[in-house]
Amino acid sequence: MKTRNEKLQRSALSLAVHGALAAMFAMPLMVMAADDEVSVLTRPTSSVEVGVAGVSEKSAKFGEYNGLNDSGAYGIANFNIGGGSAYDAYDGGNGTLRWEMNGQDLGTTSREFGASVSSQGSWDVRIGYDELRHNLSDTFQTPQVGSMGGNRFTMPATFGTVNAQSNPSTRTLDANQLAAFHTEEVGSTRKNTSLGAGYHFSPQLSIRFDYNHLDQSGAKLIGTGAQGGQATPYGATWRAESNNILMNPTNYKTDSFNLALNWVGDKGHLTAGYYGSIFRDGYDRVTWENAMVSNGTTICASGGSCTYQTNTLSTAPSNSFHQLNLSGGYAFSSATKLVGGLSYGQSEQNVGYINDLMQGGVLPQSSLNGSVISTHANLKLTNRTTKDLLLSAGFKYNERDNRTSSNTYNYLAQNNANYTGVNTPYSNRKAQLELAGDYRIGKKQSLRLAYEHEYIKRWCNNVVGGAECVASPSSDEDKLGLTYRLKAGDNVKLNVGYAYAKRNAEFNHLYKANTGNYAVAATINGGDYAGYLAYPYASRTQNIVKAGLNWQATDRLDFGVSGRYSFDEYEATLGVQDGSSASFNLDATYTYSENASVSAYVSWQNSERDLSAGAAGGVPAPSVTVAPTNIFSNQLKQDGSSIGLNTKHAFLGGKLELLGDLSYSLDKSHYSTQVPYLATCGATGTLTCGDTPDIKAELVAFKLTGSYRIDKHAKVALVYLYQNLTSSDYYYNGYQYGYTPNRVMPTNEQAPNYEVSFLGASYVYSFQ
Amino acid sequence: MKHWKKLLIVGAAIAGLGQFGAAYAGNDGAMAKAADRSLKGDQVCTECHDENDNKAVLAVYKGKHGVKADGRTPGCQTCHGASEAHVKNGPKKGEVGGKRGAVDVVFGAKSTLSTREQSEVCAGCHKGDKRTHWTASQHDSGDVSCVSCHTNHTHQDKVLKKATQPQVCYTCHKEQRAEGRKMSHHPVAEGKIACSDCHNPHGSAGPKLLKKNTLNETCFTCHAEKRGPFLWEHQAATEDCSNCHTPHGSNISPLLKSRAPFLCTECHDGPHNSKVPVAANAGGTQAGLTAVPSENYTGRGCMNCHSVIHGSNHPAGALLHR
Repeated sequence: MKTRNEKLQRSALSLAVHGALAAMFAMPLMVMAADDEVSVLTRPTSSVEVGVAGVSEKSAKFGEYNGLNDSGAYGIANFNIGGGSAYDAYDGGNGTLRWEMNGQDLGTTSREFGASVSSQGSWDVRIGYDELRHNLSDTFQTPQVGSMGGNRFTMPATFGTVNAQSNPSTRTLDANQLAAFHTEEVGSTRKNTSLGAGYHFSPQLSIRFDYNHLDQSGAKLIGTGAQGGQATPYGATWRAESNNILMNPTNYKTDSFNLALNWVGDKGHLTAGYYGSIFRDGYDRVTWENAMVSNGTTICASGGSCTYQTNTLSTAPSNSFHQLNLSGGYAFSSATKLVGGLSYGQSEQNVGYINDLMQGGVLPQSSLNGSVISTHANLKLTNRTTKDLLLSAGFKYNERDNRTSSNTYNYLAQNNANYTGVNTPYSNRKAQLELAGDYRIGKKQSLRLAYEHEYIKRWCNNVVGGAECVASPSSDEDKLGLTYRLKAGDNVKLNVGYAYAKRNAEFNHLYKANTGNYAVAATINGGDYAGYLAYPYASRTQNIVKAGLNWQATDRLDFGVSGRYSFDEYEATLGVQDGSSASFNLDATYTYSENASVSAYVSWQNSERDLSAGAAGGVPAPSVTVAPTNIFSNQLKQDGSSIGLNTKHAFLGGKLELLGDLSYSLDKSHYSTQVPYLATCGATGTLTCGDTPDIKAELVAFKLTGSYRIDKHAKVALVYLYQNLTSSDYYYNGYQYGYTPNRVMPTNEQAPNYEVSFLGASYVYSFQ
Repeated sequence: MKHWKKLLIVGAAIAGLGQFGAAYAGNDGAMAKAADRSLKGDQVCTECHDENDNKAVLAVYKGKHGVKADGRTPGCQTCHGASEAHVKNGPKKGEVGGKRGAVDVVFGAKSTLSTREQSEVCAGCHKGDKRTHWTASQHDSGDVSCVSCHTNHTHQDKVLKKATQPQVCYTCHKEQRAEGRKMSHHPVAEGKIACSDCHNPHGSAGPKLLKKNTLNETCFTCHAEKRGPFLWEHQAATEDCSNCHTPHGSNISPLLKSRAPFLCTECHDGPHNSKVPVAANAGGTQAGLTAVPSENYTGRGCMNCHSVIHGSNHPAGALLHR
């Protein structure tokens, strides 16, 4: 029976393919008989491209998203084929049907494919498939045994235990242990399959349905800390917080649904819809073995047969979100319109708990039974009584009401001590009022004045003990913006804008945060030093200035210049003090003939952030402000600049076309710390003040694309791409063998550096 | 058979079906009268603006605006106005250098109409749904009209294609263009996601023209694993992903505004090592440190241990360790 079924399937598929291909290619032949010049303008051009390409060097970073992570040969396969009676309109045709099939990058793991067919004004159906492998690392090494995408990682039985207390320079791994390290190509693959359909019941009423299935596989790297304090079989204890970097599996499936019913009338329109998203994780945990012991006097020798401690990490829990939406608008007159919308959604999560490391194995409940209700409302009234003045008044409301119950969880912390945890389900509400006026001053100038008030409230429902759970239970922010636009002559456009915002945040020093051990947590300032405020919850003043100028110097030459500067200042004794960002962009394009142009751009960006934090030995006494002598500061400075030059030129009467693209970018991030109360912070044994090494990335990219038209249907194309990335990042230092902290298993992962050339040659056949 | 190959076959079948439908529709005489009428109306314009014209006006018939059998389809004069001065006042036969009168409605940079007036021509038909919030939206107020982004007289509008859409948006949004080139970025330059996957440029009820009501809702459309609700929530993540992340590009992976432990110190100054100053010791031995480097500051910093930073469902994971 199986054989017969397969034959039948193959036969059906074969018929479908043959039928479709026959139908597809019959139409172009008919159409080609039409007048060429008019046909070229009024009918779609289909194309099929096939070729080969080669990549010179293997690099996960070069191939991060483009599927070209391996060196060697790739196939080039792209196509875009379309047709239908809808394209006959210019020749007096009366059809509405249109179909299209397209495929892109089919020879790589970034392939995508789509097909659609529609009868315009009546119905449409589309399908799609989009694949993307996100290549994350090809230098990651681990001694653990377990495949990428799996959820169990064990140590080789003969690896032996590692004395985590030793200095890494003396904690040498022997040849047997080093031999256990193997390189993994870490990446996560997303495969999106989509289906959409729409139907018009009438010109006024239509329905649309879209479905997407996202299938993820592979892994992303994640840190882990081991459970400490427990006795090993070798007379020592396992080391708390000893770190292994794991390949955390992305064994995810997400189904998304959109259903919308649209009605459009002369004066009003209404959309009623449903959005659903169901996320499923194939695993609820990752287990991994730890080989590190605490200063063990008796350890399991390398080469022997060892038993290791098993640790458990929870994975992202399966969850669902269902939302009902209603939006619409009504025009009271040609001048006055009202639009608005309502949403009501519920997120749920009820994955069974991992009963591990709970005191006495006792859980207050077997799963969270988590529920969050999301509500949204918006309303906007606009009025344009005169042609030159547009007034608008809007209101928005968003609430995340977390109705999950709060309970006490008595568990063992990583140091094996008894901790009492109390979950604090966070809720928040945001209400915004917006008023704006746009006024045209003559034909050349306009002015916009906008005011916004934003109110935020934060709380937790029924937390055990009833204490305040957030530092800032509420805040009010007023924003004022002014924009001026000018058209100077026909060729110059200028815009200048300024915005000012002031946020006043309420602060409750008696709040009690989830700091792991809720029973003994400081009751002042949630365990933070008094005077410390997390920046999202601190009072703030913000100033933003921006400007732009576009100048069409001649018919062939145009320039664009824009810039932006913002400065945020926080009212906090400790915490982020201020932050600024600036950017400047210059673009120019010169079109030196009908088919030739050259353009260039320069972009520069800078951002800075100043932070003050309290430092002292031990836990500060509640309600005691840190003495000023114990305040250290830290600055983050980031600079980025990029320049680009691209050109296109046609030769030989348009037969030969060249496109060139050259770009260079340089980004740097840098931290600087001042510790005025410590004389020794700059000593090589501490280095707690001074500067970090730069996090630096320098990218040079050059792309040259040439195509030569052989005849009106065929052309050959040649693409050369060169990219050179030079990056340095101290992030990787602590993971190198011989340089790790004493509790970290090395990964030897390297900062991305590559010099890759890509050469592709293809044949493109076009037809109508 | 691989998943995508199956889809290819199904796609071919759908396309084939479309061909049969096309042939059928092409013989539907009932619509011919309406189609002739509409085409005849256009001929007022296409008599001159034909295949020899500099501007490829006829390419409108490749797009949705050229499908005459759809009763909603506009003619040239629906959008550009009757333009009698242009139609009737042309140069006389044999006249050299004579000029026609102006077209009533011209779109783009050379238009005498304001951008808002230009957009209103389009909004006469394109009402509701994704354009509900257009009036007084950021783009509407920012002197952006429909044709600032859309090209109508063409088969494939660049802004409607995922691979080419960013070029259109970057015409104005230069900062985002620069950020998209940084070390850590979403796959926009690679053509795998488009600006409109997150933003609705026609106006929205969300912040920053985001498609969903809130920023987090928008992020969760692709990153549903971070949605929760979790047993142990991280307040900053629950409220606003952008407290830690910057979506258009960053020098610090993955799309982070800053690097741990400095990032964490922006909100925490109490739990054990968050109150300890850190500088070059974060770079470990290679940065000149002679003492044993600490896992609290090197590499992932805090997240070496507090790894499930978006939230944990482990009952012993109150500190986001597990």
